[in-house]
Amino acid sequence: MIELSEVHVTFNKDTPLETRALRGVDLNVPKGQFLTIIGSNGAGKSTSLNVIAGHTKLEVGHVKIDGQDVTNWPVYKRSKMLSRVFQDPKMGTCEDLSILENFALAHGRTRPRGFRYAVGSSMRDEAAEQLKILGLGLEDRLNDKVGLLSGGQRQAVSLLMAATGDTKVLLLDEHTAALDPKTAEFVLELTKKIVDDLKLTAVMVTHSMAQALHTGERTIMFHRGKIVFDAGGAERDNMEVADLLELFKREQGEELTDDALLLG
Amino acid sequence: MSLYEILGTLETGFIFGIVALGAYLTFQILDFPDLTVEGSFPLGAAVAATLIVGAGWNPWLATLGGGVAGFVAGFATAMLNVRFKILHILAGILLSISLYSINLRIMSGPNKPLLMVDTVFTSFEGFGMPGYIINPIFLGIMVLVIKLLLDAFLATGWGISMRAAGANPAMAEANGVNVGNMKLYGVGTANALTGIAGALFAQIFGAADAYMGIGVIIVGLASVIVGMSILPSRTIFLATLACLMGATLYRFAVALALNADFLGFQASDVQLVTALLVAIALIAQQSGSFKTILRKGSRK
Repeated sequence: MIELSEVHVTFNKDTPLETRALRGVDLNVPKGQFLTIIGSNGAGKSTSLNVIAGHTKLEVGHVKIDGQDVTNWPVYKRSKMLSRVFQDPKMGTCEDLSILENFALAHGRTRPRGFRYAVGSSMRDEAAEQLKILGLGLEDRLNDKVGLLSGGQRQAVSLLMAATGDTKVLLLDEHTAALDPKTAEFVLELTKKIVDDLKLTAVMVTHSMAQALHTGERTIMFHRGKIVFDAGGAERDNMEVADLLELFKREQGEELTDDALLLG
Repeated sequence: MSLYEILGTLETGFIFGIVALGAYLTFQILDFPDLTVEGSFPLGAAVAATLIVGAGWNPWLATLGGGVAGFVAGFATAMLNVRFKILHILAGILLSISLYSINLRIMSGPNKPLLMVDTVFTSFEGFGMPGYIINPIFLGIMVLVIKLLLDAFLATGWGISMRAAGANPAMAEANGVNVGNMKLYGVGTANALTGIAGALFAQIFGAADAYMGIGVIIVGLASVIVGMSILPSRTIFLATLACLMGATLYRFAVALALNADFLGFQASDVQLVTALLVAIALIAQQSGSFKTILRKGSRK
C-alpha cells in the first residue's frame, strides 16, 4: 500500500545547518498492515511520516501509495487516500468549527464538497453514531465548538475524523504523546479498534519502545536516517524492550542513549 | 444631528458595512490581512462610473462590473502571496499602489463625475419618497442580503473549508482542502464586495475619485473590531451582524466627532479622527475596559 524507494531527504542543504534526515530509506507496507516506527530524536521517524503525507520534499527517491506514484503530489491531494492524526491535539481538529462541522470537513476529504450545506441531517446522525462509540457524551454536544473540548477528547475526535470516508492509510504521529497516561491508553485502544474494524493500513510513530512492540504487527526502527531494524511475526511477538536494546547494540556497535526512548 | 444627517450617516454606514463583511472574510476567516481594499474600493468606483458614463451600461450591471474588477484585484494579491510567496501585507500594498495608476487610466483622469446619468439610486425615484430616505432603506436591505448570502456560503462545504484554511491550515490540508485556492477565492470575494461598495459609493456621491480609497482598510477593520467588541460573536450569523453594526456605529462616531463643536475638528480631519477611533477601540479592547464603558453608558 505504501512504498518508499531510495528516499533521501536533506534539510538546509548547502548551509552550515545541513542535516541529512533520511539517507536511503526503502520501505514497503502491504495493504492492511499496522506498522509501528520507533527511533530516537532526529532519527528520521517523523520525517518519514512527513514524506508519506507529502509535507516534506524528497531530494531523491519515490513515494507510491496504492500503486500510484505520489512523489510530486501536494498534501491536500494525497489526503484523498490517507488521513493523519497529529501529536498536538490542537492540530487534528479545527477549534473554530463545531464538532459537526469538523466531521463535515473530514467527510469532504474523499467526497466533493460543493456549495451545498455542509451539515445535513444524515451527517448529524452519522457523526452522533460514531461519537457514541467514545462514550464521552460528545454525541449530545455536536454544535459545540471543538475548542471547548479537552486535549484527549479532541484527539479521540481527530481519530474518528481520520477514519471517516474511504480512507486507505492512517498515519499516526506520536498521537498519544501529549496526553495523560489514562487518556493515552484510551486513545491507543480506540486506534487499535478502528484500524481493526476498518482494516486500514496504518503507520504509527511512537517514542515508546513498549508501545511500538505491543501495537500493530510490525516494528521498524530508525537510526541516523536509516532503517536499522525491521521485525514482524513470531520474532517480534517474543521480543521485549531489553531484546530490542541488545539487538540495537549488536547491529550498531553503540549503546542507545536516548532516555525518552528507554523509559517510554 | 439632524434627521437628514442621521440618514446620510446610515447610508455610508451601510455601504461600509459591505466593506466590513469583506474585511471579516479576510482578517477573521482567512487570517489574511488584506490591504488591497485601498485600491479595490476606488477600482470598483472607477469601473462602474466609466461603464455608466463612457459605455452607457445599465447601472446595476456596471455595479456588478465593479465587483468583478475587485475580485480580480483580490485574486492577484492572493496570487502574489500563495504562488510567489510574497508576504500578504506587502502583496496587498503592491496591488493597491498599482491600482492607483490603473484607476487613473480607467477614468482617463483623477475622477469621473456621475452627473445627469442613471445610477442604481435613480431607479427608486418613482417610489414617492425623497432619495435621502429611500436610499438608506435600499442600502440597508442590500447589505443584509449580502450578509445572509455570506452566512449561507460559510455553512457550505466550501465555506467550512475556507474557515478551516484560515483557522488551522495544516489540519485543513490534511483533510484535503487546497488552502492556496481558498485564499485566492476568499480574498477575491472580499475585494469583490469592496468593489461593489466602491461602485455604490461613487453613485450616491456623484463621482468616482482616485483618492477615495484612502483609509478604507482602516474603516473596514475598525468596523470589525468595534462590532466584535460590542456583540459577542459565537456564531457566523452574529459575527457578520456585528460587522454591520460596527460599520454603522463607527460612521456615527466619526460624524459625531466631526460635528461636536467643542472638539474643534474640521471635515478634513476625518482620517485623523478615524485613526484615533481605531486606536482607542484597539487599546480599549486590550484592556477590556471597552465593554465596561459601554455597559455603564447604557445604564445612564
